[in-house]
Amino acid sequence: MSRARPNSGALLGLTLAWACTAALAEDAPGQAQATAPAATTPAQKTSPAPTPAQKTSPAPTPAQWLERMNHALTTRNYDGTFSHWHGGHVEMLRIIHRVQDGNVSERLVSLDGSGREFIRTGVNLACYLPDRRTVLVEQRPPQESLVGFPAVDDQTASFYDIREVGRMRLNRRDTHVITVSPRDEYRYGYRLWIDASTAMPLKTQLCDAHGRIIEQVVFANLTLPVRIADASFRPEVSTLGFRWLRTGTAAAPAPAAPATSAWNALRLPPGFRMSVRSAQVLPGSNQPVDHLVFTDGVASVSVFVETQTVVGTQAPPARSAAVGSSSAFSTVVDGYKITAVGEVPLATVQFIATQVKAQDLVPAGVPQR
Amino acid sequence: MNEELDSQLSAMFDDQLPPGECELLARRLSRDEQLKARWGRYAVMGAVIRAERGVRLNAPLAGRVSAVLLAEPALGAQSLAGALPRRGLRWWQPVAAGALVAGVAAMSILWLRAEAPSVVSPLSAHLTTPAAGARERGGRADSYVVPPAPAVPAIVVPSTELANYVVAHSMYSSPVARRNLLSAFMTSEPAAAEEPQDDVKSAAQ
Repeated sequence: MSRARPNSGALLGLTLAWACTAALAEDAPGQAQATAPAATTPAQKTSPAPTPAQKTSPAPTPAQWLERMNHALTTRNYDGTFSHWHGGHVEMLRIIHRVQDGNVSERLVSLDGSGREFIRTGVNLACYLPDRRTVLVEQRPPQESLVGFPAVDDQTASFYDIREVGRMRLNRRDTHVITVSPRDEYRYGYRLWIDASTAMPLKTQLCDAHGRIIEQVVFANLTLPVRIADASFRPEVSTLGFRWLRTGTAAAPAPAAPATSAWNALRLPPGFRMSVRSAQVLPGSNQPVDHLVFTDGVASVSVFVETQTVVGTQAPPARSAAVGSSSAFSTVVDGYKITAVGEVPLATVQFIATQVKAQDLVPAGVPQR
Repeated sequence: MNEELDSQLSAMFDDQLPPGECELLARRLSRDEQLKARWGRYAVMGAVIRAERGVRLNAPLAGRVSAVLLAEPALGAQSLAGALPRRGLRWWQPVAAGALVAGVAAMSILWLRAEAPSVVSPLSAHLTTPAAGARERGGRADSYVVPPAPAVPAIVVPSTELANYVVAHSMYSSPVARRNLLSAFMTSEPAAAEEPQDDVKSAAQ
């Protein structure tokens, strides 16, 4: 440790990531083209895969690299192990992602520590929590089987400084280093090492408004197989004796409603706008929850509004939590519990949660809609 | 921890480990808690010494650490490294310096936890902009706006409830943010207490 090193955080990931060199170099180029799903998906519509003709077009802009990366992450088959660093803790996880006939399957598993697993097969989501001996099961509406994310537009670009800061070899692959720097403290930024050939992010860093790294993901190995067996999406954890919390019938999402709708945000941080409004039932609950999603094109915040179960005479205090670099904040307004969750600083979810109001507010316990 | 493993870790740091060995070591790192912990500690030590990632010691202590490290002959003679076998000058060998750095690491880990991003530092007040107003202005951002921090007590949201929110939200996050969010959830500390569940629809299987 005596020598000055460029970045120890990066080194930790980089050294692990070297292991992926051979696998990615051998597997990616040939298989990447073969992994494009047959069915057209929303994500494909917004960001089609590069064609031979496009290869001769001018070099992609940094925003286009972000689009390509999002497209690759949502439409390719991949199987990789990566290190996740946050707050001084490093853990290894494995991710398996498959798009087959328009259906998305995904499995994310903690290789050490909690042993938790998240498995998505089509419209079914299951979260295995061995440490709580619990399984959360949720069913999404079919039309949400592959959610497209908003394209990076001019408005998005006005709230972030998006640049390509260089090209470098990482894992013996050529990568474009793209930075997405927030212009204020309502949101986080990214540094992304995007593989020039496959557009897969080999390394990502989440940074605060001052450029400090607060979370890092580096792939230790990554392959892009043509086919991934169904068996890859079965949990390893034994669920004997586990409590299963399931949702009721999920309600279909509705498009973003006009400002006359019941629940809306009176004010939002600059650049955020509502992108989705839906009603759903969360696992373990019988009560429908209004789900509002706000995004600035890069970050997103969900707001859940549900009837507050009254315990005692005093309103419960506001509560906050952090999941990695993401934040959650819960408060009670006029008998309704409002919880905001998003990959933004805590102050941002606090602000949004406290700005959500019902214009035609009905006291809790009275059928509202 | 045998010497060969130490040597391999050191070689990894120095970009000297062949890819095949690198892959094997990475696999071992993924399942060997002690090895991974050792690796992580050294990474943190480096971060502390170079004041990276927002990790900071107080200035006098950092100065003393740097001075001791520079004064340490085995560490100060880096220029000789090229004249000696590469694996002969590993950072783990100077025991005295290692002990010092280990002490620094212990402090740094505590500091890192104290500096976790979940802890929101006091923020100055500002004028927030209505969403409609932002759209009317063509979406131009106010530069370096600092959001206010409402004065509310921080109480942990029950984890099962939080898991519901996290999973539901993840469906609407960007792909990278979604992976980060779910990864963080997978690796987060288990909650100490179980919250009441009144509306369990499906009991134990």
